[in-house]
Amino acid sequence: MTNTEKNIPKEDGPAKKKVAPSLALTLKEFKDCADLIYRSLPDLALEMVFFDHLTGSEEFTREIAIPFGSAEEQDVPQLLERSQFTEITDSDALIKKILNGSVALFFHEKCYAIHVYKPESRTIQESESEVVITGPHDSFVETATLNLSLIRRRVKSSRLKVIKCEVGEITKTDVYILYIDGLANMEYVQEFIKRVELIELDAIHDANMLVQCIDDDPNSIFPQFPTTERTDAAVSKLVAGRIVAIVDGSPSVISAPASFFEFFSSPDDYYQRWALGTATRLLRFAAFIVTITFTALYVSVTTFHYEMVPEDLLLTLTESRSRVPFPPIYEALLLEVTIELLREAGARLPTKIGQTIGIVGGIVIGQAAVQAGLTSNILIIAVASSAIASFVIPSYMMSASIRLARFGLIILAGLLGNFGLMLGLALMVIHLSGLTSLKSSYLTPIAPIHLKDWRDTFIRAPFWMLKERPSQSKTSNKVKNKMRQ
Amino acid sequence: MRTMPKAAALLLVIVIIAGCGDQRILEKQGFIQSTGYDLNGTKNDEKDNRLMITVDIPKSDPEQRMQRETLTAIAHSSKEAKILFAGQTELSLVSGQLRSTLFGVSLAKTGIWKHIDTLVRDPSISQRVKIVVVNGRAHDLLVRDYPQHPRAGQYIDRMLEKESALMSFPLVTIYDFSRDYFDDGIEPIAPIIRENKKNISFDGIALFKKDRYITKIESKQSLIFSMMKQNFKKGEISMKLGDGSKKQEYLLFSSVISNRNVKVKRSTKGNFNIQINIVVKGSVLEYSGSHELSKDYDRKKIEKRMAEYIENEAAALMATMQKHNVDSLGIGRNVRNSLSYEEWNKLDWNKEYPDADIRISARIVIKDFGKFK
Repeated sequence: MTNTEKNIPKEDGPAKKKVAPSLALTLKEFKDCADLIYRSLPDLALEMVFFDHLTGSEEFTREIAIPFGSAEEQDVPQLLERSQFTEITDSDALIKKILNGSVALFFHEKCYAIHVYKPESRTIQESESEVVITGPHDSFVETATLNLSLIRRRVKSSRLKVIKCEVGEITKTDVYILYIDGLANMEYVQEFIKRVELIELDAIHDANMLVQCIDDDPNSIFPQFPTTERTDAAVSKLVAGRIVAIVDGSPSVISAPASFFEFFSSPDDYYQRWALGTATRLLRFAAFIVTITFTALYVSVTTFHYEMVPEDLLLTLTESRSRVPFPPIYEALLLEVTIELLREAGARLPTKIGQTIGIVGGIVIGQAAVQAGLTSNILIIAVASSAIASFVIPSYMMSASIRLARFGLIILAGLLGNFGLMLGLALMVIHLSGLTSLKSSYLTPIAPIHLKDWRDTFIRAPFWMLKERPSQSKTSNKVKNKMRQ
Repeated sequence: MRTMPKAAALLLVIVIIAGCGDQRILEKQGFIQSTGYDLNGTKNDEKDNRLMITVDIPKSDPEQRMQRETLTAIAHSSKEAKILFAGQTELSLVSGQLRSTLFGVSLAKTGIWKHIDTLVRDPSISQRVKIVVVNGRAHDLLVRDYPQHPRAGQYIDRMLEKESALMSFPLVTIYDFSRDYFDDGIEPIAPIIRENKKNISFDGIALFKKDRYITKIESKQSLIFSMMKQNFKKGEISMKLGDGSKKQEYLLFSSVISNRNVKVKRSTKGNFNIQINIVVKGSVLEYSGSHELSKDYDRKKIEKRMAEYIENEAAALMATMQKHNVDSLGIGRNVRNSLSYEEWNKLDWNKEYPDADIRISARIVIKDFGKFK
């Protein structure tokens, strides 16, 4: 598509040519669609076209089979007057309706559609990628309507608004944009809708794919919008004045705008006592530092800065290094790549075989590599602890990004020592401060500084202290429980 | 996307300009832990001004039994020695892990500042490197194998650290030494160690005049010296309390907290009257005398005798220091602080010091005495 066609016509928007719908035209449009069902009731002069795997049989019986089964021809117009039937005057609109799970009814020259959409859905289960110990265990599924109902059930407010968009030239995937009226900043909402509507792709398969299409900086390695499978997390974003987007066919929902530090908080923090929540949150930030610097520090210290090591450690370090034939940087990269291989293999394999990978990788490779003189003991500790630390970060996307950034730091540390390490960290901070999420700063609440927000960013203060909604959402109702009309 | 080629170019530049010349890969380094400096020549041979420099390098090669390596070179300076050392070992020697420097007493008598100066200048050397004087030759002490202490350098270093924590002898670092060296009204000191048959032991405190070794204080008196020099909060002293006619009594005074203050008065003639007051608190661990510590009267008596003991010992020390004209206690600083800058500039403290009237008074408080009757 070109820029001139930016505005994709909406359902009721001006179509190119309005053609009156007819049975023949519809059947022609769905030629070679073996799953299309065509039924005719000659005694009522009624003809129906639909996909029976999109419509619920219960709904079909209740709305069509029962009322029409006992009706005479002269009753039909009256029945079709019922509000669930809508008269369609445009052929394209009708086809869209059928594809969205409506039954099309043709009565004489007129055409009606009734929405009896009931797709098959996975049952609601616990999320496998975002596990919490306490807290709600239900998570989103692939059906957008079910996901919507999960959110509606939790937010009993007419202020919860839902906007529907379509994405994907071929797939026409439904995207629901949710926000709470009066909390969300409408500029964000409009910006978000604009970006979603400008997506030019054949298909969107998952929310994490959509996110990349609306990123402020698509080349950054850092995710700019968090996605979650957890219902409680999604609701908490909504009430914080953020936008949530549900993509049909994806169990993840998007929230926007987001800051870098949001990726380090987990719903768990709020279900534990605040002291515990604070401790865990601080632990995660420590884990972040460990992940990104530990191996790099090992490399720079063993290559350049022997002065930094305490005497006792120095001797054991030298001893374990003395049998390794490679310089520290090769040694570290070798082991880091091995760990990444193990992680990737573990992610691809079924759980049962995955355990074997852990044993083979952890025990056999780890132990044997030291004995064979390929790596030093202390490097194994460094690499393993930074790998473990990376899994502490709740967001899988963020932890993967950080692991990637780590490689750059290791190389810089191997070339320039601590100077290189600092250079790398400085470049990272520069990059992060340049990032935006929906045009709001990615490093909020550090830059721009909002000290009040720190209570819910770096620590998890007791609830009586969390009186204000985050500044990033730029809400007009900043203070909680003081909603203005 | 335009930043990508730039970033790639930057990375390439980093790789190329970094090279590998600066690398100090851990296992290829020999970490000098202790250095010993001695005069090479004997006393008769005054023309030989070369130094005998010894370094001690801990090693941890699992295939070798030796836990250390010592290298010796005879050179004019420590930097020259470094070149000579390089020809003797497969490791590249680095001094970033230096912990202690040992000076033979004969070298210390000729002055050690120029050697310390090179240590101060080298940025990789810590300011906390310890300075020790060896009663004998530093070379012999370092080279010898102590079967009970496989790493001589580490042995010396750890002993110094542990003992100085208990104030048995002072810990003098490069920083302390150079500070006292440059400061007016104080002279540097350093601990002395000595080689024994099986081990190394503390031998006293070396008193310097500028950077020249002058005399030493016996190890027994080192705690008294510390009481006169500074406040401290940990220590142990054994006292022999003579009672004139009666037999001698021994007392072990522990957990010592010592405070001192110095009062400077100048008489109208220009003479200095200096009063050093020492207050020592502590607990009695061992007492072999006949007095009963639980009785207030007796305890006061013992306290008084202990104070006398300290006063006597301190006076003797003071006399020695005045005799040799070394102001290791830093009394000159107290004098300086009592004067104006002009007055101090006019004053030749070196001349005044030996004749200054320095008096010491001590007060002892026994805080507890355990389960004595």
